[in-house]
Amino acid sequence: MKRFLALALLLAACSQKKPIVVGSKNFTESVILGEMVAQKLESAGCTVDRRLNMGGTFVCDSAMTSGALDTYVEYSGTALEAILKQPKADVAAAYAKRGLHWGPPLGFNNTFAMIVRRDDAQRIPLQSISDLAKVAAQFRPGFGYEFVERPDGWNGLLAAYGITFATPPKTMDLGLTYKALASNEVDLIAGNSTDGLIESLGLIALADDRHYFPRYDAAIVYRDDIDKKCKGASKALESLRGKLDDAAMRRLNFEVDGKKRDVAVVAHDALGR
Amino acid sequence: MTAEILRVTGEHMLIVAIAVGVAIIIGIPLGIYCTRNPRAGRVALRVIDAIQTIPSLALFGFLIPVPFIGGIGMRTAIVALILYSLLPIVRNTFVGIRGVDPVVRDAGVALGLTTRQLLFDVELPLAMPSIVAGIRIATVIGIGVATIAAAVGGGGLGTFIFRGVAMVDTRLILAGALPAAALALIADVVLSAVERKMIKG
Repeated sequence: MKRFLALALLLAACSQKKPIVVGSKNFTESVILGEMVAQKLESAGCTVDRRLNMGGTFVCDSAMTSGALDTYVEYSGTALEAILKQPKADVAAAYAKRGLHWGPPLGFNNTFAMIVRRDDAQRIPLQSISDLAKVAAQFRPGFGYEFVERPDGWNGLLAAYGITFATPPKTMDLGLTYKALASNEVDLIAGNSTDGLIESLGLIALADDRHYFPRYDAAIVYRDDIDKKCKGASKALESLRGKLDDAAMRRLNFEVDGKKRDVAVVAHDALGR
Repeated sequence: MTAEILRVTGEHMLIVAIAVGVAIIIGIPLGIYCTRNPRAGRVALRVIDAIQTIPSLALFGFLIPVPFIGGIGMRTAIVALILYSLLPIVRNTFVGIRGVDPVVRDAGVALGLTTRQLLFDVELPLAMPSIVAGIRIATVIGIGVATIAAAVGGGGLGTFIFRGVAMVDTRLILAGALPAAALALIADVVLSAVERKMIKG
């Protein structure tokens, strides 16, 4: 009897497949999307290990190439400019060379948004990034570390618009930037155009009138061997193609950031629709 | 690069020095107070314990909108570090004074010492090794914890670590982590020597 039990346990341990590791970056939208991917895989019968909110772009990308992560949601502009550093390349072909699959686009474009307080925007006035030249002497920018370092980030923006700010940007944890802007501690931050907080905190995203930022179409990236871990995983991910437009994504972000609803519930509702 | 490392190392030392300095000024009297008023003291020690469990980012989130002590920059980082440094200093002051042999205290009373004289001439000198040990712990831990200053634009060696983590650049991470480790070791050696001198003293 004892031997039988040990054998049964051993068999159970063997049949348990390695879980698919789902990651996300360190901001609300990425966490929601990671949760949606995880739930979709679970409903396809896969075992999932969630590693959400793990860090910035480069943390996620190096985890993917090393095999520590199996899938996460990335943006086309980020992949081309920051990861591949080949703005003109074909993203799917370039990813294929790295053993990764540039999967189904989710249907929305989340570009960087240069964000100011509404009262500043009306007083000065500010409508576009070009208008920032008017306030470069007294405006205090504040960003997360990634935006300052990225090739498609702050320095490139200054060069493209020919603006020089009097003070270097304050660098801080990405999650604190909205709070810093709302508390008048900084005057300009870089967020995402789909952030729900832009509306709810009374902020304005400036227009990129010189089209400095490329398109940032969200897509699910997964490792080529994902189906070996769970049969049907890639098919499940493929079914999310085109499921979210800009407005839908903004609404989901607001559900979490503005209404403080639980990410797992919001993701579940979004998949149910 | 070297110049920048030196500059942020200076910032780092400044943050820790101010924070531990203020924590000493607040912490030692608070520790003494806790020995005098056991009931209030217990509450104070609990609160200080509880502060230790607040994650730094959450603390920053609270502090950013607060006038005078909050905001974005070094000040917020220093305030957080003061709060985190209180525990070892207050506790070790409390334990050090409580550990004074009652016989010694009674002898002082018998000699006609006032409470004040008893504190400054008997209790504090005897508790000093424990208090210095608390300061040493606060400083060494503070040098590590101060790297989170970079999360609120406070500068210091954490700047390299945060940049390095964002870019997955090990060299940048090391440029922040190695000087911080060296500072912690130096502080530990120096303050240990002070501590030993106190015990012999």
